[in-house]
Amino acid sequence: MAQAPRFTGQRIRRVEDPRFLTGRGRYLADLEPLGTLAVAFLRSPHAHARIRRLDVTPALQVSGVAAVVTGADLTEANIYCAGLGGQPYPPLAVDEVLYVGHPLVAVVARSRAQAEDAIDAVVVEYEPLPAVVDPVEALAEGAPRVFSQAESNLCFHLEHTPEGLDALFAEAACVVRGTFRHQRQTAVPMETRGILAQYEPVSSRLQVYASSQWGHGLRDGLAKALGLPQSKVQVTLPDVGGGFGAKYGVYPEDVVVAWLALKLGRPVKWVSDRLEAMVSDFHARDSIHIAEGAFAKDGTFLAIRDHMISPAGAYLLDGSAAVLETVIASLVLPGPYKVQAVGFRIDGALTNTTPLGTYRGVWGPAATWVQESLMERAASELGLDRVQMRLHNMVRKEEFPYASCTGVVYDPGSYQESLQTAMEAIDYPGFLKRQREARAQGRYLGLGIAAFVEPTSLGAWQPEPPTVPYESAVVRMEPGGEVVVQVSVNSHGQGHETTIAQLVADALSVDIGKVTVRFGDTAAAPYGGGTFGSRSITVGGGAALEAAGRLRDKILAIGAHLLEAAPEDVELRDGTVAVKGVPARSLSLAEIGRVAHWVPAKMPSGMEMGLEASSRYVPPPITFSNGCHAAEVEVDPKTGRVRIQRYVVVEDCGVMVNPTIVEGQIIGGVAQGVGAAFLEELGYGEDGQPWATTLMDYHLPSVTDVPRVECLHLETPSAVPGGMKGMGESAMVASPAALVLAVEDALSPLGVRFERMPLTPERVWQAMTATRS
Amino acid sequence: MKPAPFQYVVPESLEEVMDILGQHGAEAKVLAGGQSLMPLLNMRLARPAVLVDINRLPGLDQIAVEDTAVEIPCLVRQRAAERSPIVAEELPLLREALRHVAHPQIRNRGTICGSIAHADPAAELALVLVALEGEVVAVGRGGERRIPANAFFRGIFTTALEADEVIRSVRIPRRRFSGQAFREFSPRAGDFALVAVAVALDVDPQGRVQTARVAVAAGSDVPARLTEVEARLQGAQAGAEAVKAAAAQAREAVQAGSDAHASEAYRRHLTEVLTEEALLAAMATTGGNVA
Ligand SMILES: Cc1cc2nc3c(=O)[nH]c(=O)nc-3n(C[C@H](O)[C@H](O)[C@H](O)COP(=O)(O)OP(=O)(O)OC[C@H]3O[C@@H](n4cnc5c(N)ncnc54)[C@H](O)[C@@H]3O)c2cc1C
Repeated sequence: MAQAPRFTGQRIRRVEDPRFLTGRGRYLADLEPLGTLAVAFLRSPHAHARIRRLDVTPALQVSGVAAVVTGADLTEANIYCAGLGGQPYPPLAVDEVLYVGHPLVAVVARSRAQAEDAIDAVVVEYEPLPAVVDPVEALAEGAPRVFSQAESNLCFHLEHTPEGLDALFAEAACVVRGTFRHQRQTAVPMETRGILAQYEPVSSRLQVYASSQWGHGLRDGLAKALGLPQSKVQVTLPDVGGGFGAKYGVYPEDVVVAWLALKLGRPVKWVSDRLEAMVSDFHARDSIHIAEGAFAKDGTFLAIRDHMISPAGAYLLDGSAAVLETVIASLVLPGPYKVQAVGFRIDGALTNTTPLGTYRGVWGPAATWVQESLMERAASELGLDRVQMRLHNMVRKEEFPYASCTGVVYDPGSYQESLQTAMEAIDYPGFLKRQREARAQGRYLGLGIAAFVEPTSLGAWQPEPPTVPYESAVVRMEPGGEVVVQVSVNSHGQGHETTIAQLVADALSVDIGKVTVRFGDTAAAPYGGGTFGSRSITVGGGAALEAAGRLRDKILAIGAHLLEAAPEDVELRDGTVAVKGVPARSLSLAEIGRVAHWVPAKMPSGMEMGLEASSRYVPPPITFSNGCHAAEVEVDPKTGRVRIQRYVVVEDCGVMVNPTIVEGQIIGGVAQGVGAAFLEELGYGEDGQPWATTLMDYHLPSVTDVPRVECLHLETPSAVPGGMKGMGESAMVASPAALVLAVEDALSPLGVRFERMPLTPERVWQAMTATRS
Repeated sequence: MKPAPFQYVVPESLEEVMDILGQHGAEAKVLAGGQSLMPLLNMRLARPAVLVDINRLPGLDQIAVEDTAVEIPCLVRQRAAERSPIVAEELPLLREALRHVAHPQIRNRGTICGSIAHADPAAELALVLVALEGEVVAVGRGGERRIPANAFFRGIFTTALEADEVIRSVRIPRRRFSGQAFREFSPRAGDFALVAVAVALDVDPQGRVQTARVAVAAGSDVPARLTEVEARLQGAQAGAEAVKAAAAQAREAVQAGSDAHASEAYRRHLTEVLTEEALLAAMATTGGNVA
């Protein structure tokens, strides 16, 4: 960089906020081209049933209706899910419905209300079939099958027993065990999903607007499903009001709406309402870990065994939780600790429920809970201090890069330091004293610790990576000297318009007000993998930095030429190119822009006109951020209610571009962790009926449930340009474990252990009563 | 989530309301604050043919103090009642309970009478009406009737109101207690209560309980008074001992329901916990001699 960064690392106010906070954001539901038709879906009320009769003619009579389509009309459009399940995934159910919420009919009408009236008029006769909801039951002999023609419900299986694992367990001084069931959740972004598709006859192109995390992925998916060339589908993302993993990929409704737009030649729009969102957005988590840990007498963590059982729902999706949550867990189960061997077995089961997909922190909440619980349980069995025991097992500074027994390589981090920092902040010795005093008064105080690593910024993490391994940026300086950055990652709340502008402004030594960041339109943005997996600032920001660096070199070369100086003798400074040490000999960027765009004769010989550079940045396979959460809670022994008294987060995400945005991500992640630990659960009855279909039953944390979060920062730079690490998911990864363990610590006089989240007051009360009697 | 088609009418007098209800009967629904009815319409769980919007009826939005009762007409918003000096002075139990009803935004629209008409078994206001022996003033083409609270609530979302009747007001006796308290336990602030307890007491100068009202909503069909518990308290020396015994009895006596939100056992337990807390709080405000 030409001079010390002016913007990177500063708490710059988000440039997008004035628009969002004054109601000027433009979301999918705000788009209403002339003549737009609305779509509503008829969804199955049964968990599993044969469609005996389907009569849509009464729906066609309803006022305002333009079309009614069923699965049979749509057989030409198929989206397929990957994996061993390999079942065709028709966008509308054909013959059988496989879960409550499964769409089987789509109605297009002048208004959504009319479309819903028509849905009411459709006549369906269902023949209920046996359903299976629990993954363990689904894998049992003789279980009802989701697909009758399949041999079983097993849709994914992977196992690995490394050499020496059994010996480590046999020789261990202490083996601790536990069952850990992470409940089913869904992301509940504030803006629900939605899509608007419109056929443009002049260019014979399908224009799609969508509330999505990945425009190019949606474009490719729709092109494939509809048999169109990718160049004939354009996806544009308006402002997106949250995604959290639930808007990554192609959904059945997307294919139906796009197909309808082609058929009808009119704009067609669907906006999910909250009722359908609860049964049609990806569900998430819902894994069972039956885990054990082997420890030596001195507390050395030797080995882990984990049997993971996870439902896929009715279809095994590309990003199925049954695969991603478990496979990534198998790679990072040891967390920040050195372990000699990890053995695992993964069983994924098809079940008659909404398909499971991604949600912020994929793998992490359950695996961190397992990892930290094994540590806690071993510390108490061995009579060792849990903080000392953690420190003893952590990868030390001098051991980086550290090759884990699971095959992943940890880049440098601050594992011990972050734990120590968290313990200082929460005053660990003081806490132990407070806890003793409180216990003497019959009060239950607890401290939960969750030290974590977060594998972020996936690049080529496998030889043939299942995700796009790079991100792109094009940085352009206009003739007037302003800078436009086109990036392939897009924001659904993360603040890319601010952070990427900070990076580029510093790289080009211009004011941040001169930099505009654009994304979200496949016709303008370069290709990339969109926003997922805590990688925007590293991979997308890395690409922006690389491209900006190339542009800076070109600007300097032109400037040196015009100033008749050697390129190494000039520098970029406050919007000018100047000869080093001779500020009077300088040129404004506007002058350089004028020459580069208008005056070939003044350009260095052979240099291309214009001021534009691009980058496709492939990062290291995985960049690990790390940190530690510490939660202090008090449990009301009368009701089982947990109050969070203090919450400390130490985060090391390398170089911070904008600490305020980092802290926003942390606080949001802790809020969702509170939901996971105490409140949210998408339960199903045995008959396959979901019992949380509204936000009255699905309890999101509200302002009175979320504690004030004290954020502390450490900075261990990574190898990506700028030294950043991803961090968008870490707080969600660590907070459920910290909170659950805090409650167990509070109740340790009673010896309470929890096997499932969330810890509702009733479950805490039950656990206390069970151990008391 | 769009309502099924309905006809929308905005009458300007109670007589007009009664005419419309008389004509359409169960096909018509009154719309007050809409905080319960709108979700039901949007989810198509309620499909009235006619929606009778009473929000423009004149003269029904002021609380009035009469000789023997406080009258709360049907357009008094929950938030207005919560802030009313009359309620603060005359009905402190109602005021305390109102803070537990939903959130301020919802209380700004929701009416007291609407909550009573809706008859959610977990509703705080229904519980208070039962505890304070209030009555519902119903008007229909057949005239006006006053229905005591304990006869009004018949079951989940079910009341003694006839299809052609509208609640004009609720009336709550002006009856000063020496102490009262409201306690509830809900999953989050503003949620419906898993268990709610309303108590009101008179304690004599010797510290003996003269009268006790103990009403509980615990997931059963209707909020109810626990008369056995009240009887046991009557004459007892106010204090921790009597309270403990009464709370333990409440646990047994309460009609507790079981659903996705809480089991019957937990609700019984919460009933004991909250009854104890509420009774102690009520006694603490009596100024009497609490042992
Ligand atoms: C998020 C949320 C949280 C809530 N939490 C709580 C809570 O914790 N506790 C609680 O008690 N309530 C809660 N409520 C419900 C709220 O209190 C409602 O306002 C109240 O139940 C209904 O009052 P309303 O004026 O809005 O009636 P409306 O919704 O307009 O009507 C409700 C029903 O009563 C009938 N009705 C209304 N007025 C009359 C009348 N004068 N005569 C005859 N029939 C009439 C209607 O026809 C309808 O059937 C909550 C609501 C929401 C949206």
